[in-house]
Amino acid sequence: MRAAPHLTLVAAADAGGANVRYPEAVSKETATLPRAALDHLDALYRVARNLTGRDSEAEDLVQETYTRAIAGGAQFTTGTNLRAWLFRILRNAHIDAYRRARTNPVHGGLDDELAADTTTTTSEPLRGDAELERLRGVVTTDIEAALASLSVDARAIVLLDMEGFTETELAETLGCAVGTVKSRLARARGILRERLRDYGS
Amino acid sequence: MDCTEARNHLLDSQRGALTGEIHARVDSHLAECEACRREDAVERELSAVLRDRLPRTRAPEALRRSIEKRLMGEPPRASGRFRHTRVSLFASAVFAAAAAFAILLWKPHGSDAMLAEAVNDHLRVLYSDHPVEVESGGIHQVKPWFTGRLDFAPVVAFGGDNDFPMQGGAVAYFLDRKAATFIFKRRLHVITLFVFRAEGLPWSALATHPVGGARGTLETSRGFHVLMWKKGDLGYALVSDVDPTDLQLLAAKVEGGA
Repeated sequence: MRAAPHLTLVAAADAGGANVRYPEAVSKETATLPRAALDHLDALYRVARNLTGRDSEAEDLVQETYTRAIAGGAQFTTGTNLRAWLFRILRNAHIDAYRRARTNPVHGGLDDELAADTTTTTSEPLRGDAELERLRGVVTTDIEAALASLSVDARAIVLLDMEGFTETELAETLGCAVGTVKSRLARARGILRERLRDYGS
Repeated sequence: MDCTEARNHLLDSQRGALTGEIHARVDSHLAECEACRREDAVERELSAVLRDRLPRTRAPEALRRSIEKRLMGEPPRASGRFRHTRVSLFASAVFAAAAAFAILLWKPHGSDAMLAEAVNDHLRVLYSDHPVEVESGGIHQVKPWFTGRLDFAPVVAFGGDNDFPMQGGAVAYFLDRKAATFIFKRRLHVITLFVFRAEGLPWSALATHPVGGARGTLETSRGFHVLMWKKGDLGYALVSDVDPTDLQLLAAKVEGGA
């Protein structure tokens, strides 16, 4: 039996993480999670697969996400962004799980990683064509491995951006200021490009 | 507009999120700056890689049903291992002992993992926008393509015919190892053949279906039939939603028996 990093159920009050942005004074009628929550299942599962790297852990993480969402349904206000709220829960559940498991090789957040990363995203002109050629030869296993080498937040911002998240949704999901989203995304993609140069070679 | 500002707007520009004056200024900067044009091309390609080469996996049906029920107010399925740690530890120990014992006998869990992997890999093929890395002009075109991409030579005696036209090939992973992937069609259905090193995998001992000179297992999971067999050093998995007899027919051809 695989030693799975155990996800732990937290109190409903913590479902949205430390910086819950949603009003708590909500009537009982809105306390249940809308069925529309199911519309985001495939995207949650896809992102969970790339966060955990395993199908079985992705399933556990998604189950845990809905458990927290249902338990914390009272914190969700109709009319606010359900997708960002669900992905924020997913991200927090994943961070909780792997903080306990300590199996993930990357411990730092995006900023730690960026501080440690000495490369810049503005590649020198001469490297441009070579990089483009290499990107064209990247296969599924390369991009999966390169993503897996990023910090959780860097991976999350790249993947959520590709799921069509707006800057506001990204900020809500990742718990950062809207004004920093663009530069965080650019830096995360920059690191991903650096990693792809290694994996794609 | 300078390079720093232009690059700041590249992603928005690629997604059509820029309007009016800024859009025009980015465009005119790109027209005159070769370095930023390259950067633009690389960023576009990175988006294409993320969009097209990451599997567009859908959530497993069982997970969907379980969550659907819970949203309707039913209690969670028996995933108590997350909540009742002590019970879970004890249950895990009992389960692990039972599983270990069972594996000693006939490894049902391992072969289940192989079945699940075969279906997952097939789903990746189905949902991939570019399932085929090398287009098929027949087996003589596909097989040499694998040279240098795999640490073994896939032995496949069949290059497609009118009943089972070959679409092409790709390299994928089967559990911990690389696999040669051949994609066939049967009418409108896709059949994926995975060929990989057989060594060290938990093959089921219950192989009863004749496949050429070998014997294989035919199982069904999530609506897909999976025919798996081992020949020499190589393992084979055929996965599709076509009738199992079609899979056996194709397996016989792959084995050179038809």
